[in-house]
Formats: sequence, C-alpha cells, structure tokens
Amino acid sequence: MRELIDELFAPAFANPHLDTRADAASLPIPNDRALVVTTDGFTVQPLEFPGGNIGSLAVHGTVNDLAVSGAEPRYLTLSVFLEEGLDIALLRRVVDGLARAARECGIAVVAGDTKVVGRGDCDGIYLATTGIGFRRPGVGLSLDRVCAGDRVLVSGPIGNHGAAVMLAREQFGLRGDLKSDAASVLPEAQALLTVPGLRFMRDPTRGGLATVAHELARATALTVRLAEAQIPVEDSVQSVCELLGFDPLYLACEGRLIAVVAPETAEAALTALRTVAPRAMLIGELQEGSPQVILLTAFGGQRVLDELEDDPLPRIC
Amino acid sequence: MSTRRADGLAPAASIAGPAIRWLIGGRVQGVGFRPFVYRLSRYYELSGWVRNCGGEVQIHAEGPAERLLLFGNALVSRAPPAAAPRFLEVRSTPSERSEGFRILPSTQGEALHVHVPGDLFTCDECVAELGDPTARRYRYPFINCTQCGPRYTLIRAMPYDRPNTTLDRFTLCPQCAAEYTEPLDRRFHAQPLACAVCGPVLTWREAGLVIDGNEPALAAALAALRAGRIVALRGVGGYHLLCDAADERAVARLRVRKGRPAKPLAVMVPWRGGDGLEYARSVVRLSALEAAALLSSARPIVVAARTAHGSLAESVAPGLNELGVMLPYSPLHHLLLADFGGALVATSGNLSDEPVLTAPEAAAARLAQVADGFLHHDRPIARPADDPVVRRIADRVRPLRLGRGTAPLELNLPVRTPVPILAVGAYSKTTVALAWEDRAVVSPHIGDLASPRGREVFVQVAHDLQQLYGVRAECVAHDAHPDFPNTRWARDSGLPTRAVWHHCAHAAAVAGEYPSDAPLLCFTWDGVGLGPDGTLWGGEALFGQPGAWQRVASWRPFRLPGGERAARQPWRTALALSWESGLEWPAGAALSDPLLRAAWDGGLNAPATTSVGRLFDAAAAFLGACLHASYEGQAPIRLEQLCAAAGAPAAPVMLPLDLDAGGIWRSDWAALLPMLLNMRMAAAARAATFHASLAHALCAQALAVRTQTGVGRVGLCGGVFQNRILTEHVRALLTASGFEVLIPMQLPVNDAAISFGQVIESVAGLRRTL
Repeated sequence: MRELIDELFAPAFANPHLDTRADAASLPIPNDRALVVTTDGFTVQPLEFPGGNIGSLAVHGTVNDLAVSGAEPRYLTLSVFLEEGLDIALLRRVVDGLARAARECGIAVVAGDTKVVGRGDCDGIYLATTGIGFRRPGVGLSLDRVCAGDRVLVSGPIGNHGAAVMLAREQFGLRGDLKSDAASVLPEAQALLTVPGLRFMRDPTRGGLATVAHELARATALTVRLAEAQIPVEDSVQSVCELLGFDPLYLACEGRLIAVVAPETAEAALTALRTVAPRAMLIGELQEGSPQVILLTAFGGQRVLDELEDDPLPRIC
Repeated sequence: MSTRRADGLAPAASIAGPAIRWLIGGRVQGVGFRPFVYRLSRYYELSGWVRNCGGEVQIHAEGPAERLLLFGNALVSRAPPAAAPRFLEVRSTPSERSEGFRILPSTQGEALHVHVPGDLFTCDECVAELGDPTARRYRYPFINCTQCGPRYTLIRAMPYDRPNTTLDRFTLCPQCAAEYTEPLDRRFHAQPLACAVCGPVLTWREAGLVIDGNEPALAAALAALRAGRIVALRGVGGYHLLCDAADERAVARLRVRKGRPAKPLAVMVPWRGGDGLEYARSVVRLSALEAAALLSSARPIVVAARTAHGSLAESVAPGLNELGVMLPYSPLHHLLLADFGGALVATSGNLSDEPVLTAPEAAAARLAQVADGFLHHDRPIARPADDPVVRRIADRVRPLRLGRGTAPLELNLPVRTPVPILAVGAYSKTTVALAWEDRAVVSPHIGDLASPRGREVFVQVAHDLQQLYGVRAECVAHDAHPDFPNTRWARDSGLPTRAVWHHCAHAAAVAGEYPSDAPLLCFTWDGVGLGPDGTLWGGEALFGQPGAWQRVASWRPFRLPGGERAARQPWRTALALSWESGLEWPAGAALSDPLLRAAWDGGLNAPATTSVGRLFDAAAAFLGACLHASYEGQAPIRLEQLCAAAGAPAAPVMLPLDLDAGGIWRSDWAALLPMLLNMRMAAAARAATFHASLAHALCAQALAVRTQTGVGRVGLCGGVFQNRILTEHVRALLTASGFEVLIPMQLPVNDAAISFGQVIESVAGLRRTL
C-alpha cells in the first residue's frame, strides 16, 4: 500500500499542500472569499470510455460542481477504493487521467486515502472526492433568484457522455467520433459570471438536460419551455439515440453547463459564453404556469417531458 | 298511491283522480321536452306545470281523466325525435287548482338521473329556414331550436338552462325573447337561441385583415378556400382545418404545414339531392348501413370505400381505397358547403395528436403556421369534442372514435357500483368514464397525453364529467402502468385508487357491453400495453369474467429493437422477427445496423412483446408496403387494403399452437415468414394469406381453450379489430365453430374503451371486497 502511495499517487499529484505523511492538510483561505465545498462519489462503468476515465471524470465532476456554484476550484481530497486484483496498468491510466485533469483545472489534490477491498466488493475502482473552492463576494447564484421570463442557455451539445458510456459499457465498440464530453466547465462558468443577470447554473449530469429542467420547474413552480430545434445535439449522438431508441435530452453530460439568465442580458450571456464555448445556444425560457417541462417540437407541437423514471417502462399502447 | 316501474311503460289505466304527477327520466334534457309537454298540455287543454328536477322532468297536470290519460300516453308516443323519455313514476295527487300550464324554474333534485345531452345536428326545419330569404334567420350561421344545436360543448353546468351555457353572455333581443317565451313557438325555451341581432357573430382574420360580420366574414373564408388556401374554422366542438378537397396543391400544402404526410384526411361534402347524399355518393360507395350512418343524429365521419372516378385530390387519402366522409352538421357548415359547392377537407384543428383547439387565441397562436386565415365566432366552446368516426365492420357500423354527438356516451352497468368511480383511461386515445349507481358515462375522445394540452383537457374533462352529472367520485381507476400522467393524477387525487391492467380493461369493456353470467374468452389484440409479467402484451386471450381474467393464449414472444420506436418504424419489428427466428430478410439487410443488433442481443432497450399489432407492422414491412409509418396504424391499414387486390380467397398458413410451461397456448408466428418473404407470390396474395393465417390462429386458440373450459362466448377487442378483413374472417370462423362472437358496438374496440373497461373491472373488484 505504501508502495502504491509513494510510487503512484504521490508523484502524480505532487504539489506544495500534499504531504503524504501527514494526517491532514493545512490550507490558506483568502480573507475576502467564501469557502465553497462539495463532495461526490464516482462509480462509472466502464472505468475507461472514449473521452475520459473514472479519474478524469472525478476531477471534472467535482470541479464542475464548484464552478456552477460560482466558485474557483482550488483543492481536492480523494478517497480511492480498489478491488483486489485490479490491473495495475489500468490504475496507472486512471491516476494519470486524474492528475492531468487536476493540473488542467488548476486544482490541487491535498489529501487522500486508499482502501483495497476484496474481489467482488467493488467494480474495480470507486472514487470519492471533496472539492474546495473560493467564491468572490457578491456572487449569489440560486434557484430562488430565477423568475418567469428568464432564459435558459446550454454551453454545448448534450448527451455525449451518456451515449459514449452506454456504448462502451455494452462493449459495442466505437461509433464514429462519439466520445464523452467530460471536461471542466470552469471557463464557461467564469465567462458567465461576468454577465449581470446571471441567476443560476448547473451541470446536467445524471438524467441530462431534462432532469435539470425539472429541477428548475420544481424549485420555481414555473413552466420550463425548451425549443427542440435550438438544443444542440451532435449527429453521432442523435443517430445512436435514433437507432437504439433513446432520448438525448435524458442522457448525462459531464462537460456542459445550463445557465439561467435574465431576459435583458440573455444575448450578452450567450455572446460571453460563446467566447469559450462556440456551440452554446439559447434553448428556452421560464414562464408562468404549472411546474412542468414542455418541449416545443417541429411543426409547433408540444410535448411534456416527464421526469426520468428509475426503471423506465415503454409507454406506447 | 305511487307506482315505480322498471319497464318504463305508463301504468295509465289504474290512475284516476283530479290530478296526476309524472316523473320522467331518460333523455329529456336539451331536446325540447318541456316545451313539448307544454304544447301537449295546450292541445289537451290541461292545467298544471312542468319542471326540470335534477336530470328528470316532473309534470303535474289537471283536467278530465280521459284527457289526462291521452296526455300521459302522448308524453312518450309523440315525444320529440331527439328525446327518449322513460316513465319513472306516475301517481295521482290532489289538485293544486292551477290556472293554465306553466314551465317552472328548474330545481336541482337528485343527481342520479342527469342526462347531459350531446350536440345535435341542424334539424330539417332550421336548414329550411337557413335557406329561406323571408325567414328572420335566413343565412344565420348559428340558427338552432329545441331540436338541434350544440349542447355538450356549450353547457357549463346542469340543469341545461341558458344561464348555465356559454350563451349566457348574449342577451336575447325582443324578438328572440318572444320566441323563447312563446310556448307554441318551436324555439320556446331553446337555450342556445340566437339571431343575427343578438347572437354570436363570425369574424374573419388573416394577416393584416379583420372582417367582422356574418356575410362578409363567410365571403372572405369562401374566397380563401376557392383560392386554394387553408382556413381554420371554429365549429361546434373545436376548430377544423379546411381546404378544397379537389385541389391537389391545397391538400399537399396542408399536409406539409401540419406535418402529416400520409394520414387520411376527413372530407365534408355538401348536402345535395333528395336524401342529401348525392354528393357523398360521388366520392364514396355507400351501403345502406353506411348511408344511414352518415345521416344518423351524430352526423359522424363514415369511413367508406372510395369511388374510382371521384373528383377529390388523391392526396386526401394517399394510396388508400377508403375515405372518411361527413355531412354538414351545423348551420355554418351548411352555408359554407352550399356556397362552396364542393367537398372540403375538414380535419381537426390541432397539432399531432393533441385535442382539437377550441379557443380563438390558442387557435390563432398554435395554427399560425398552418392556416392562411381564420373564421372565428364568439360563441365560447366549453370543452372540446372532435368529430366522431365510424366504420362498417362485420355487418354493423361501429365507432372508431367517440365525439361530438356520440358522447358523453351513457351506458348502463351490468351491476351497480358500490361507490362512484372515475376511470381515467389509457395513455393514447384517452377517454374518461364516470360510473355511479347503475350508470356509466364515457367522455368524448380526448387525444393522447403526450402534450400539455392533452393533459389539460384530460383534467378538465375529469372534473367536468363529475360536475355535470353531480357525482363526486370516491374511487379512481387507472391503468396499471405506474408512469402514465393519468396514473399519477389518480395517485395525486387523494382518493382510493384501483390499478387495472390494460388488456384486462379491454376484455372488461366487452364484458360490460355484453353482460352475462357465463364466462367470456376475450381476444385482446392491439399495439402494446404493459402486462402483469412486465412484458408488453398485445396478442392475449383472456378467459374469465371482470375482475377475474386469466391469460390462456398468446403468441411466441419477440423483442422490439429500440423499444417504443418500433411503433412508428415497422422495419424494426420485421428485423426482430427475422433475428428471433433466424430467417433472413434480404431487403432488411440495409436496415440491420450492427449496433442495433448488438443492443438487441444484449437486451438494451429491447423489451419482449406478444403484440399482434406489431406482427401486422412486420408483415407490412416484409411486403415492402410500409417500412416507416407516419401515423399510428399506417402499416396495418396498408396491409388490409393490399388484400383487396388478392382476388381468390387465401389459404392460411397454419401456425403451430402449443401449450407452454405456464399453461398458456402460444401460436408461433415464425411459419409466416417464409410466406411473407416469398417474392414469387404477389404482395396482395401474401397480405391476404397473412390475414387468413391470423384468423385461423385465433380460431385455433379459441378451440383449444374450449376443450379446456367449454367456453362458448368469444369477445374481440383491441385496435387490431378495427381491421375489417381480419374481424370478419375471425367472426365467420368462430361462428362456424359454434361460438357466439361479441364485437363492441357502443364503444370503439381501441383504447377509447379502456376507461369503461376500467370501470367494469373496478366494480367487480369492489363488489368482491365488500
């Protein structure tokens, strides 16, 4: 175990705050900043997929939770659960992915723990992270600030992560250029933070865009209207969904951001967002009405987007 | 003394005394019954009164005994055509020394007896007045009387009095008021009474132009139609989209704008000739049954065989040999069709499968990209009612859709329900049913529940039915699918709920229409519905009685690649059958994506089903008749009509029938594939053979079940039996084998019947637990 830490983790994550001999890390906190903390667990299968692995995903997931909260991500703690007999080369790739993603996001791994569990007690690797970031004064993002008339933006094409992981999990092989969108949304979030009228941001992970829209509707008791024609979906994702009968609106993203912006500054927000995310789109708005999510389809049709079911059953009759 | 008789006959002879009181039930609301009673009293020179009480009519009459007797008999024998009175009670009573005969204000009474009248077509007398230049209502688009006009779509609350209708905002002019209060006038107490002075008015709107006034607005609409443009017209139960049915380009434009490339469009034809059907006969061949259906009081859309030399654009029903035709049923339609002089496409003013639009603002917004102009009027529509649709199947004209004039459909329950039940129907073709005491009413077609408007209308109708009939549900019956919006609504209602499996509801609907103590074998063949085993049922034979069905026969299961996408993509089921059976489908190679196959092999979004509807899809795909469906039922409709060219009767492929480990008879469809893929056989012959094979498979299942159970009654339900060729063949085979065959007459065989079936099933369940 010591060997693993000294030879694999310590060099990969090396930074001034990380002391693998200490029980805890001491971190400086700037005076005028609020401390923002998030925690998350990662159990993705397969451990590697086109566009990332569980290591990079853990960093991006944590960084993104901090970024959409309006914080600058700074520190990360990491718990690693390894299944006995795990291929060490795979572990090395995961650690490398994690370290590289952390470097790119400017976040330091400051504390960690490793446990090895028996065969069959976990699916290869589980990761748990805690992220720490700092937020400037005056940044107040909240669902409570969302009102009728506000616009909804998305930072780029949706559903790639869900589709890529699904194909990788089923071992269907590669499908064209379809790969996960897993990435940091910090640049997108910071671009938007400069725009007045920004109300709320979220990264659409499990359950995808439709699920974030439901959270919005539920929290605000407003109707969320999304225009299908405006929602960016890559052709490769669209064609896989068409073929296999899935809806990209419900597929997870790991490198996208949904933002709610006041109507007056929605265009400015889109412009700002596009400086870092050229495929960003304005996709909908919130309206007075019952809390539901409505998709405007081609030919002016309207479809209610229901909440994702844990065990979806076909509903055709 | 008092007598209450169930047979509805007047126990007249035993009655003597200075005065008699009648309590009359049945259909006596909204059909001019009170004015009729009034006139009758004048004719027999009797004094007394009449009034609405709940849904019943109370009559008190005084006078010489022999005239009271004649009066009593005439109450039924000479009742208005739209009425169906039934004596509930007759008793002698002390004289009230009344002077003259009066219509008293309505009282609430007991709710049990309310009958909400359906919308009535414009009667002959009003049509005559409409065309009479000397009449006060010459060409008035909202002419009506006690015998005709909208009812269900303008009644806000019962009893049916003007303040309870959407006409409440129109104050009667002195002349109308005089007619309304003149007992001998045929508009005496006609609640939607109106004229050009005081009543609703037409408005034409198109980009940058508003034209008010009946004649100018109508003229603008006509000019638009003649120019090949598309007009949204506000009618009785909602908007129609109209265009010249003979103008190929106009119809094509409507199809493009509505995003409806192939689904047949209904056509309204002018009333012409002695029986009114002359024009209709030029576009469809009408049997006596179909002609009678066209003229029946609901004035439904009748699906009938297209004539070869018809003047209509081919694209009205592209590639189909049948056409949905209806006659004008409102004064506005009469004027428009007569002035236009030809057939008009008259399709529901909605988008995809949403409920028909009723409000001008919503129609203008939602149909802005579809219609070139709008012919609005300002008589509000309380709730939507689409045009009803019927088709001749197995020697009867049977409903395919309940709507204006046919709903709310009032039925009697075979047994009383312990508590009032609201049944919220299926997910598509949704209807709502309300049951209390020994009665049930079924709402018009709502549409499917995918759209916000579908859900809004569903909620409105669920509330309105209870409010109109004065019945508060104490139990909500819903589909057993946990995620349907109507299931959630049921759960959120706070009332006790009863979950009913889709196919049990289908079977129970047949049992409810044909009550008997004897058990029933019901073939429930449709698209798919969730079954208790978690698979998608759709080809099931259920044996038993309401509340106690047992699955006794089905099909070899197969898995649908891509799940619900298979519903509109018949090629998917064809691939599934080919993969499942290992028989190659050469034409399907191009569609067979390795990823789809891998997903199907791995069970990813590939649910198992026994759906006969999907078998029809696959057959149509194998024959190249329909690989992609742009509307529900397109593949089976094409397959059915391919049979017309088959000529000689087809010999069936006899499908193996075996008892599985669970004791269920299963037919194996695999033997159909070599025939369906036999390119040396004409497509028409293969289509006919497919139909014949399924008919024989059904009969074989019925015979197998009879050997076990001795069952003698067989019911047919589910959307598959909208197919005339299959249904008639099945009926012939079963009848020849000595079975009694039951096919729904009152309710459609499709999912519109689910709400009623949920009622029947729930009543049985509730009674057992009491």
